[in-house]
Amino acid sequence: MRTVRPDRKSTTASPSDAEETIEAIHGGNVDALMVKSPGGLRVVMLEGADQPYRMLVERMSDGALTLGPDNAILYANWRLSELTGRSSADLVDKRFDSLFADPAPRVADGGTGEGILLGAAGAIPVAVWSSSIAMGGLSVRLVTITDLSVQRRAEEIAIAERFARSILEQAAAAILVLSSDGRITHASGMAEKIATAPPVGRMFSDVFPLNVQSTAHAGILSRFTRESLDTALATKPFHGVEVKLHNRSMSKRFFLLSAGPLLNDAKEPIGSMVTLTDITARKRAEDQQTMLVAELNHRVKNILAIVQSVAGQTVRASSSLGSFSTAFSGRVKALALAHDVLTRTRWIGIGLNELLTAVLEPHQGAGGARVTLQGPAVLLPAQAVMPLSMAMHELATNASKYGALSVPQGTVTIDWILRDDGAPRVDVTWIERGGPKVESPGASGFGTKLIERVVGYDLDGKANLSFRPGGLRAVLSFPLKVDAAAPETSWSTLQPM
Amino acid sequence: MIEQDGYNLRLYVAGQTPKSIAAIANLTKLCKKHLAGRYTIEVIDLMKEPALAQRDQIIAIPTLIRHLPEPLRRIIGDLSNAEKVLVGLDIQPM
Repeated sequence: MRTVRPDRKSTTASPSDAEETIEAIHGGNVDALMVKSPGGLRVVMLEGADQPYRMLVERMSDGALTLGPDNAILYANWRLSELTGRSSADLVDKRFDSLFADPAPRVADGGTGEGILLGAAGAIPVAVWSSSIAMGGLSVRLVTITDLSVQRRAEEIAIAERFARSILEQAAAAILVLSSDGRITHASGMAEKIATAPPVGRMFSDVFPLNVQSTAHAGILSRFTRESLDTALATKPFHGVEVKLHNRSMSKRFFLLSAGPLLNDAKEPIGSMVTLTDITARKRAEDQQTMLVAELNHRVKNILAIVQSVAGQTVRASSSLGSFSTAFSGRVKALALAHDVLTRTRWIGIGLNELLTAVLEPHQGAGGARVTLQGPAVLLPAQAVMPLSMAMHELATNASKYGALSVPQGTVTIDWILRDDGAPRVDVTWIERGGPKVESPGASGFGTKLIERVVGYDLDGKANLSFRPGGLRAVLSFPLKVDAAAPETSWSTLQPM
Repeated sequence: MIEQDGYNLRLYVAGQTPKSIAAIANLTKLCKKHLAGRYTIEVIDLMKEPALAQRDQIIAIPTLIRHLPEPLRRIIGDLSNAEKVLVGLDIQPM
């Protein structure tokens, strides 16, 4: 403190103020002065006054430089030297543009731009700010250069992280990242769904309790306690171990458990990635396929038994090899046709009208008017298809040999009605007209026996055949609902008699 | 609003020059100690608004102006000598 001037009302500086000012300057008590210039009053620093600014500029994390009127560098700070790999002395007097890859950034006064700085270790994306200032009668430009590579890298990392996270979120499998002690650090959306509690931060075995007894790979997992499984999953590779979760809502589902180590840059394991893939649908398909193969075996054996039985009985009822051949091949064809129908409808069943149309098609004749079908829509269960086909084949064969279909003008009408006396039944009536006069009251050949027995035993119904003079009239009456537990086609009636 | 017996002080500085920073620090310390609750300080940075120097005829920086209580007083320097500042501002040490 140099001067105190009390008791002055005016703010006008007096001659003694000037003296005091000079004294203060000499005493080093002031470090700036106000001077008049053409542009108005301005501050002029005394020596050392801008030291703090210099320190700040030297230490700031951005590059800074001052450019003369000819765009030559007058001053460059330490950070710019570091970025460019060139000493301050080397930078001074160099052109601004020489710092950059073409094109050098053009920045308006007070504005910012971007460019590529020729850095010590390669190109560096930078932001450039520039502003003009008058210094000692010169117009100079102050410039800062901000390294954007860290920011860009951070942006790239953020984008990569978002991408990785979206993969985790969208993945159909449950994906988990475990730290080396088995604690979950990341979990996909699916993993969160099947866990017993929010998984991140918990031990794997706490939120994914495995039911080790229930799967094909029980042996592999039973070697581990819960705790040792956590450690094992975090440190050892697992490939496709089938597991079930001890979790009420997931108890019916099968999962494939896999784990692989995650390595850091130095190739050291830092944990693992564990996936739980839901393979329930695949397991079901496999089971279904196994079941279908077993079913097919069963059916093939059945068919062979039927063929064998039909052959044996046809032999006994045939008077010659020729008649055997005709009868046998007709019956085998009827079986094959029924089998085709069943395969086509996947053993579900078929409409009665469709089945009869198929079975009687060879007897229909050119105009399609010899066999007439009429009746309501009826779905035949699969179990009824083969017996009914056989019965109809026998009736048609008989009609072709002896009945209405053996003469050009003869016709057959088949109609059926549905009845429901507590259980649905169908009565199928076969009426022949216009055939030769039926003389015998009934032929007791294998055909007739087969019809009666097939309907009686295999369809659980009744066949009533009356050989009237005008033509055969047969009524086959059987229930539509066949007991599912009953053997599908026992063909007891076809056993050798 | 300052009370009648309050101190209305204006300190002219030039950015962060060492003397400017010292003056701000010295003045606030002194006021807190001796004028607690009875003062306002207006710091004017002439680096930002050089034209304001005209108002109080400022030549050297830093300069402290006592506006109130009247009469106006002027102290040039970094205010490092507290005793002289107290005398200059006519403050009785507490």
